[in-house]
Amino acid sequence: MKGLFSRTRRAGAVRRSVSYSSSPLLASKTPPWRSKFVVGLVGLGSCLLVGRAVMIQIVDNRFYLEQGEKRYAHELELPAHRGRITDRHGALLATSVSVPSIWAIPRDVQATREQKRELARALGLSLAEIEKKLGDRESRFAWLARQVDEPVWQRVKALNIKGLYEAREYRRKYPEGEAAAHLVGFTNADEQGQEGIELAFQRELQGKDGSRNVVKDRLGRVVEDIGDRVAPVDGRDVGLAVDAKIQFFAYQRLRDAVLEHKAKAGSAVVIDVTTGEVLALANYPSFNPGDRRNLSGAQLRNRALTDTFEPGSTMKPFIAAWALETGRVTPATSINTAPGSITITGSTIRDAHPHGTLTVAEVIQKSSNVGTVKLAMQMDRREMWELYSQVGFGQKPQVQFPGAVSGRLRPYKSWRPIEQATMSYGYGLSTSLFQLARAYTVFARDGEVMPVSMLKQDVPAAAGLRVVRPETARAVREMLRLAAGPGGTAPKAQTIGYSVGGKTGTAHKQEGREYVSNKYRAWFVGMAPIDRPRIVVAVMVDEPNNGVHYGGDVAAPVFSQVVQQTLRMMNVAPDLEVKPQIVAAAVPESF
Amino acid sequence: MTRINMLLAAALVASSLYLVRTAYESRRLFTELDRARSEATRLEIDAKRLEAERQAQATNLRVERTARERLAMRTATPAVTVYIADVAASGAAR
Repeated sequence: MKGLFSRTRRAGAVRRSVSYSSSPLLASKTPPWRSKFVVGLVGLGSCLLVGRAVMIQIVDNRFYLEQGEKRYAHELELPAHRGRITDRHGALLATSVSVPSIWAIPRDVQATREQKRELARALGLSLAEIEKKLGDRESRFAWLARQVDEPVWQRVKALNIKGLYEAREYRRKYPEGEAAAHLVGFTNADEQGQEGIELAFQRELQGKDGSRNVVKDRLGRVVEDIGDRVAPVDGRDVGLAVDAKIQFFAYQRLRDAVLEHKAKAGSAVVIDVTTGEVLALANYPSFNPGDRRNLSGAQLRNRALTDTFEPGSTMKPFIAAWALETGRVTPATSINTAPGSITITGSTIRDAHPHGTLTVAEVIQKSSNVGTVKLAMQMDRREMWELYSQVGFGQKPQVQFPGAVSGRLRPYKSWRPIEQATMSYGYGLSTSLFQLARAYTVFARDGEVMPVSMLKQDVPAAAGLRVVRPETARAVREMLRLAAGPGGTAPKAQTIGYSVGGKTGTAHKQEGREYVSNKYRAWFVGMAPIDRPRIVVAVMVDEPNNGVHYGGDVAAPVFSQVVQQTLRMMNVAPDLEVKPQIVAAAVPESF
Repeated sequence: MTRINMLLAAALVASSLYLVRTAYESRRLFTELDRARSEATRLEIDAKRLEAERQAQATNLRVERTARERLAMRTATPAVTVYIADVAASGAAR
């Protein structure tokens, strides 16, 4: 090869110098291989370019398309609203509002000292805190205040400080505050339900964020939609059966009673008998769901649903009802309760006050343990167990609420005779106040136990489960009327204008294995108007500690006030004669 | 032939100019639409906020306190209520 090149070079040089090289400048001393080399290089270069083009346009096409798109296309999130929780009349119990959060780019902030002072005042911070937040001159982001009220941002905006911005965040608001706190529950900072209805209906309340892809221009304006827009799906509103007014009133009365009797806690449940809707479910102590710092477990607990206790005397009407239902007794049958105690397999059961011979109705009216035990011991333990199960004791209530407990009702096969006896007056089994209130619908609904609902029912309630005959339920209602009347255990349950009936309960609290002699739970479960009941109200006060502790003294007054208000709000006409106290100019009666 | 070409060229130029104008116009309108949409969202959020605020002004607690303390009202009891049966409604119910 080398020989070949050198020969041609020589020959060329000779030829050119001969033919047209008069000027030595034109005499090329360049070796001819060089031009070929350049041609080769150029050829190679274009091959490379073509190759690269193939790589970019065919092989890696997708990657570059994506990269290009990223430069101009943006995905915008379309946030969905969380659904609202309303009461039966549409009053808001929980709603999400968009609130401004204020942030800054510290290195862009230019503010005079006076402006900073004004800013601190608007945000409710000290000047030092503002200086600290804006202190890092290198930083590109700092929160100044999160989730502030709208007027605060307007004030800050008016200061016209460069480098301050707002971001929109959602905050859950609970207008009814602590009165409905346990019922409604609350969400965490990311709007995920944590308690109560917020948790139970998380899936319905939560919306689904949408998105859209857009082209933005140099100034950040959206100029075009690309592809499909995924519309946000807002969360569904949840309409509860609760009436905010009744709820508030029940909570207030309960709070007053707990404070008055220096009690530890209390609960109240109001159920609409005709539909099975829960009109109110209140607990005290409560909390403010909007501000949940320093919360204790005692405040958070929804006692009406999650706490179980021995129901005590409130069980007696069920035993009486079953004795009537099975034809063992009539309301007028006499039972000898003297001498105020009865001994079963070595254990003695006593009445608080000894009575002589009582009728069945009077056993309930006076709340005699001995009389009830005598009724119960005529029954088979299986009968009793079935009765209790049918009205819902030991069964988890079918209600859409987290944490509802089933209470405890042991299988009848393990009952000893003394246990059967104590269970007849409410010791040895446990139930929540909610279960107890529901069980009493059996008397209010002429023998049917109602399914209960937290949600507003648009259709008439389904028929309940029949437990006893209507005549039996009416007879027991008559006894309950006596119990709440003069000579009964709870005359304080009486209201103006409405006939009421109900049963008190006062039980020693159990701590460990022992019953504590000076700690009680007091409650009252009743219904009104007693002839055609519209509502069942159950009230429980835990550890009243101010002299009185009987259900008739502590819980019955709360029942009375709640019934009075609730029936008035439900437009139920009074069924008792009321001496009118209307002071008006004497107008001749014309209707 | 030349005349047709000239004509076509003129038509092409006109059409291109029109295209540019339309594209511009569509972008402008889109921006406006988008602005209107975000305004609608903003107003909706505002409405929700105001609704919540209205409710906060009318909580049962506040109503009760105002009624009792400022307006010196008392709770109605059946003793101070005249009940009138709605004849039409109760007739229909029967």
